[in-house]
Amino acid sequence: MPAVTLEKLTKVYATGIRAVDGLDLRVNEGEFVVLVGPSGCGKTTALRMVAGLEEITSGTLRFGDRVVNHVSPRHRDVAMVFQNYALYPHMTVRQNIGFALENKKIPAAERDRRVRSAADVLGLTELLSRKPRQLSGGQRQRVAMGRAIVREPSVFLMDEPLSNLDAKLRVRMRSEVLRVHRSIGAATLYVTHDQTEAMTMGDRVAVLRDGVLQQYGTPRKLYDSPANLFVASFIGSPEMNLYEASLEATEDGAAVVLGSQRLTLPGRTDVGQYYGRKIIIGIRPEDLGDPALGHGTRAGATAGGGHGTHPHAPLAADARLIEVLGSEQHVHFSVDATPAGGAAAAAGDTAQAGILAAGAPNGVARLDSRSAIRAGTRVMFSVDTERLHFFDADTGQAIATSSS
Amino acid sequence: MSDTATLKVPGQAPPPQAARRRGPGRSSWSRRRDRRGLAFIAPFMIAFGLFTLVPLGYAIYDSVYTTRIIGGTTFTGFGNYSQVLTSGPFWGGFARVIVFGAIQIPVMLVVAFFFATVFDLGVARLGRTFRTIFFIPFAVPIVVAAIMWGFLLEPTYGPITHLANALGFGGTNFLSSGLMLPSIIVIAIWEWTGYNSIILYSALKSVPRDVVEAAILDDTPLWKIILKIKLPMVRSAIVMLIFLNTIGALQLFIEPEILSYQGGSITNTWTPVVDIYNTSIANSQYNLGAAMAVVLALAIIAVSVGSMAFRRHRGELA
Amino acid sequence: MSTTALAPPDGTETTASRSETRRQRRRRERLEERDAAIPAHLYGLKRGTVPLITALCALFAIFTLAPVVWIIINSTKSQANLFGSFGFWFARPFEFFHNFSLLFQNVDDNGTYFQWFGNTVLYAVLGGGGATALAAFAGYGFARFRFRGSKAFFYLMVGALLVPIAAITLPLYLVYAKAHLINSIWGMILPSLVSPVGVYLMRTYVELSVPRELIDAARIDGAGETRIFFRVALPLMVPGLMTVLLISVVTVWNNYFLPLIIFTQNRLFPLTVGMGVWSQVAERSGGNTNLYPMIVMGGLVTIVPMIALFLILQRYWRGGLLLGSIAN
Repeated sequence: MPAVTLEKLTKVYATGIRAVDGLDLRVNEGEFVVLVGPSGCGKTTALRMVAGLEEITSGTLRFGDRVVNHVSPRHRDVAMVFQNYALYPHMTVRQNIGFALENKKIPAAERDRRVRSAADVLGLTELLSRKPRQLSGGQRQRVAMGRAIVREPSVFLMDEPLSNLDAKLRVRMRSEVLRVHRSIGAATLYVTHDQTEAMTMGDRVAVLRDGVLQQYGTPRKLYDSPANLFVASFIGSPEMNLYEASLEATEDGAAVVLGSQRLTLPGRTDVGQYYGRKIIIGIRPEDLGDPALGHGTRAGATAGGGHGTHPHAPLAADARLIEVLGSEQHVHFSVDATPAGGAAAAAGDTAQAGILAAGAPNGVARLDSRSAIRAGTRVMFSVDTERLHFFDADTGQAIATSSS
Repeated sequence: MSDTATLKVPGQAPPPQAARRRGPGRSSWSRRRDRRGLAFIAPFMIAFGLFTLVPLGYAIYDSVYTTRIIGGTTFTGFGNYSQVLTSGPFWGGFARVIVFGAIQIPVMLVVAFFFATVFDLGVARLGRTFRTIFFIPFAVPIVVAAIMWGFLLEPTYGPITHLANALGFGGTNFLSSGLMLPSIIVIAIWEWTGYNSIILYSALKSVPRDVVEAAILDDTPLWKIILKIKLPMVRSAIVMLIFLNTIGALQLFIEPEILSYQGGSITNTWTPVVDIYNTSIANSQYNLGAAMAVVLALAIIAVSVGSMAFRRHRGELA
Repeated sequence: MSTTALAPPDGTETTASRSETRRQRRRRERLEERDAAIPAHLYGLKRGTVPLITALCALFAIFTLAPVVWIIINSTKSQANLFGSFGFWFARPFEFFHNFSLLFQNVDDNGTYFQWFGNTVLYAVLGGGGATALAAFAGYGFARFRFRGSKAFFYLMVGALLVPIAAITLPLYLVYAKAHLINSIWGMILPSLVSPVGVYLMRTYVELSVPRELIDAARIDGAGETRIFFRVALPLMVPGLMTVLLISVVTVWNNYFLPLIIFTQNRLFPLTVGMGVWSQVAERSGGNTNLYPMIVMGGLVTIVPMIALFLILQRYWRGGLLLGSIAN
């Protein structure tokens, strides 16, 4: 019995805006599920519907086997951490955390015990007598979490709780949040616009766009087998390289025609119905390697990682700019092929797509730091053809890929 | 502004201190620019000086003199003040406005807060319409309001007197000395509730929505949300309103004055400002009037500051 | 408005298509406002609460409108009926237009009503408009410049609110006596230019809606301060200006004490003082004059313009500015 079930959940505002459209989602007991997507994709609205703060236009929401569409948020036994923390400004930390328990008429001694234990878990014990305005952003965020966990709810909701923190603090707090989650063990629904957060924190991740669920699965699944163009370019940084291409048959399999080049895919027979048709090909930056370093040397890959046995094809390109990160290098290149817009162009961001003018780089490769490739030279990448992604040029849906 | 880097060249002394000026960081250019601000506030400040500070200064100056028909104007120092301070009627009037304020202001604020909350929560139909209606008295000059209510409360012909008779309270005279103060309290509530409730409504709307949502998720009953969460968060608005209303209440003048024209029972010293007006204009005792005005000003300051301190003390306990 | 709401800030229009009719836009704004507010049912109210509260509002609305309704109805009555007939309903003969014509009379050489009306308009427009202008300049100066004494001046000005008007107006009369400003329209208009409340509100509004960065950018572009004020800041200050203008005009229109003191010639009276004088005269003469219907009609004509102004300007002014002053 999943802890939370969303069945075709839809929200249409009085002004006609469809914020969430037919969302299907299941959160199991103790699971940490992340809702991720760009601004306006409906993730916060969906969360608020689960909380009961937004009315559900159509669809069913269940907690366990109980339909809760019309149950007041007061009685749903959910706790929520808001993006701006929503602390009661005129109350102390102790009063903030204990407020819900006060409402439940829990006796003062028991209340105090639970507040103290929540404060201990979050490291707030010294701050109990302070007021919110005397706290830093990170401390306020922890008070907001304390307020939620002290209620021992069956469902936890978090609305971008880390967005207002600075970058370093955010990274630290990620593990804090997970630690708290594991010690509490309740089903958690977590909303963020940051795909890194989603990938590092979620047991399962749901990608939303314009109110519609794009894909729901483990981070690994989303990364290795994105269901469509949007997920492919949204997940992963740097973004997946996408180009217009076409497929054709060869004697021993298939080949991709990418601009003026051909990448052979020996033994590939599963893409038959797309021969001769336009497709979009996706190459993750780390699947482009420097052949001088030997096959199988992907950025960050350990020596002897199994991908050395994958077939590789050469891809010529002009290296335009090299970013040295120390642990790896990012090579910005242009290849003679038509780039297909990823998330940026798909979102109508023509300005960004327009930057991909002639001569400007249209791809990024992640190379091992030992690579000696220089900017302004013509290079030959080796492409791991087993890890290529193919998408239907009209629908954006993924065509069968090898690693499933 | 960062430190200028010093090149450590062997054999060369570091540049002199004067070259690294680290003042408050404001160049003379920006300071000159900020002085333009003075030019912007100048027109207002000049008018303020001429028409507020000068007369006030003149009042203080005038209050230490006395003009008599025989003998002309002489310096009497504290003379006028001792007359004011020992004047029973003056302080009787002052006591009256204190009572007036002590009743009218809390009642009006409670009513205003009630309606402001109703509008903020959206729990009444036609909220917008009601808001507009409640604000109409603000557009009515107090003189006209007093005239209208004077007619309504007229002891023989007024509709409200008729209503009182019909309800069995025969022979009530709302403008008699006994009921005059309650009547004016009702008039003042009529005049000011709408204005106060609009200000409170705006303040309530500025409470962040997610704080209230958090309270809802914490299963907080509505009365607690209003009194324990929203009310404390609009405290600054309430304090300001108490402040403004107190200053206004202590200067009560127009309503009693106009009602006296309509036959109401108002003495010459019914409120401090009535007293000052009669003393200065009717009796042409400008010096004494000035002294009374200064005393009133000091009393107002004392009461306003005092009432705020009292509120803050109470607020901590609430 | 709530900061997390989708609704646009006060006084501005959304970027939705201009081709919307006014009614469509108002309907959309109302829906957005409703979407932006917390739905009432989340508060957990019992069944009968909404009708009960609506009834209470209605009661207070009746209380609020009673005098206004009274004055409208009774402006149609003759003097006899004023005191004879039921206060809240009409009575024959219907004398509205006759009463209105009475306003043109000159009673006891106290000046005519419409002279007073004209005076009031003059004072309100010049005084209120001038006060708004001064408040705009001063508010901008206090908000966006840091000069020595800026805080001191501001607190001085706010402190002046504590001083009773009697303490200022009565000596003003004496000052005017020396400066020959008694019975001068400027004696009324000039003091009306001083509106500490206006400056306070404008300062708050400038802080909220004229970003420092914008001004700095204009300065870097080489614009002079006056130019920046008129071309950059002022357009952004318009909603605040409207509110302060409304409040200033209403304040001068309703002012009683100042003109009472400084005007001895009846032809200069504004409506407030004139109505007061009529009340006095009517009472003293003990009902011998036909003054009462004139008072009622006069009162009605006095309040109609202001109420109309309010209802018309409602859209610009939504209390958002008054809110801003509280937030600070």
